[in-house]
Amino acid sequence: MSNVLEVNHLQIQFKIGERYHEAVQDVSFSIRQGETLGLVGESGCGKSVTSLSIMRLLAKGTKISGEVKYGDRDLLKLSESQMRKIRGNEIGMIFQEPMTSLNPVHRIGRQIVESLLLHRGLTGKRAADTAIEMLARVGIPRPEQIAQEYPHQLSGGMRQRVMIAIAMACNPGLLIADEPTTALDVTIQAQILDLMRNLASEHRTSILLITHDLGVVAEMCDRVAVMYAGKIVEQGTVRQIFHNPQHPYTKGLLNSIPKITGERKRLQPIEGNVPSLRNMPQGCRFAPRCPHALDKCRVSAPEFFEIEEEHKSQCWLHA
Amino acid sequence: MSDTLIEVRELRKHFPIRRGVLQRVTGHVRAVDGVGFRVGKGETLGVVGESGCGKSTMGRSILRLIEPTSGTVEFQGKNILNLSKADMQLMRRQMQIVFQDPYASLNPRFTVAKTLMEPMIVHKLHDKATRMSRVKSLLERVGLDPDYAERFPHEFSGGQRQRIGIARALTLNPKLLILDEPVAALDVSVQSQVLNLLKDLQDEFALTYLFIAHDLSVVRHISDRVLVLYLGRMAELADTDSIFSDPLHPYTKALLSAVPIPDPDVRRERIILKGDLPSPANPPKGCPFHTRCPVAAQICREQVPEWREAKQGHFVACHLA
Repeated sequence: MSNVLEVNHLQIQFKIGERYHEAVQDVSFSIRQGETLGLVGESGCGKSVTSLSIMRLLAKGTKISGEVKYGDRDLLKLSESQMRKIRGNEIGMIFQEPMTSLNPVHRIGRQIVESLLLHRGLTGKRAADTAIEMLARVGIPRPEQIAQEYPHQLSGGMRQRVMIAIAMACNPGLLIADEPTTALDVTIQAQILDLMRNLASEHRTSILLITHDLGVVAEMCDRVAVMYAGKIVEQGTVRQIFHNPQHPYTKGLLNSIPKITGERKRLQPIEGNVPSLRNMPQGCRFAPRCPHALDKCRVSAPEFFEIEEEHKSQCWLHA
Repeated sequence: MSDTLIEVRELRKHFPIRRGVLQRVTGHVRAVDGVGFRVGKGETLGVVGESGCGKSTMGRSILRLIEPTSGTVEFQGKNILNLSKADMQLMRRQMQIVFQDPYASLNPRFTVAKTLMEPMIVHKLHDKATRMSRVKSLLERVGLDPDYAERFPHEFSGGQRQRIGIARALTLNPKLLILDEPVAALDVSVQSQVLNLLKDLQDEFALTYLFIAHDLSVVRHISDRVLVLYLGRMAELADTDSIFSDPLHPYTKALLSAVPIPDPDVRRERIILKGDLPSPANPPKGCPFHTRCPVAAQICREQVPEWREAKQGHFVACHLA
């Protein structure tokens, strides 16, 4: 199967004070057509920054290097006007907080129409009809009326449906979803995940799903990349990651979450805290928190070791 | 059953809705609408429900941080809703609260030492030297370096701040802690550290917890019994194992089935609820859940289900359960 997106050796540096600090270091992954890739990790691991760099939405003055190939184009090399033709058209994006990503002073319908007029060259009437059709497709009741309403009149779940309608309006090849259900209640989360799954399989849309919730990953993703402190530490199919985790960080994460079934026993947390951008540990970035760290881990950064097909882990223990 | 520490009866909190120039009361938001339960000494009662179900309002009403509209809250046999302001302040030594957001609940201009000493100063306890040594021992107990006492909140991570929030709640040696989403803002790896700390502190100081959360896995992990709220009313109450293995209320069933399980091979029958939570200003007639209930019958639309003991120690408000 062909790759829709290919990220190679992505490197992102932010300027803090006088110095540049590496927020993302040598990140590579690919997404095939119709596939959902989960990018998991805790706050500050670089998962959102990675997704924003694909859309070229990071502030000026951020140093980005590497390659982000969408089809045969390198998105990092496109001009701003070329990029505008891709955003919202070929790549759609939904964010965590639907209230801050919708424009509060425009009616819902108009916000969907915008991208249709811009990218699809539809006329006003056709675009308005398509917008209502989109609202109906994302399961919004009374779509004609809702199109006339403002974001504040809708509930959180409804707003996220509207965001999905906007993101999917131009039938993009790739949908980037950054914590799409984190702000929602579980019963609403279930509705939204269901909707995303159905739309994606209907249109063979690829999804890059960014989340910290391992339950959501297990449910939605075909493959998973685990990020820690700006690096991908392990990558594999969803079964490889959940049934045969290799990196001590992945294992630690899976062990530290309370479960909804089975025996209730004491949790095994990962001790310590995530390192800050300003003082990243030498060598393996997880070493200070790793229960198995060797001397080698503290001085030199490990490469990827292939565990089996599709499954690789960045840890000296596999050497 | 262990001795009762706190018993809540028919607790209600209705917020008035005011409209127009004269600010006339045109209706009420029934945030908490007739909630009652008891919590035994040393027990953890988990309170779950979706946003807007009234769980936080309930926690605050119990401490009278929000004055409840009606009902009683008996703490060790004494109704604290009748207490004078001075008596209530004294009573608050026994009952403390930990909030969700460790960024918003610590004063950014106070050092950790000042934050932790404040309760002792308010209650005129100990001299200065004893207060400081108590601060240090509390910091150590919650897993922070005592030398951090002179630092400010912005120098700490979310997990460390939540430890400070817990230490502050413990300064006065309370019997009851109301924990309002104490781990919701934390990363998974840190969340488990704080949950373990809460368990250890409970054992060490014989604390009673009212643990309010929306995350069902967390509630299951920490609670002895669980109360499920929906739209300000009680849907179900039972010991943790019964709630999770044999839920009776259709809402509890839907809630449980909606939780994503971190195992790609587990595929469950999912009950997807239609629609959103109705407004508590205008709750549905009859059973508050009937508008979203997959099994609602005619009686559910007409009559409010009574709160009954369906099995030993397992209470539910549903006509059909």
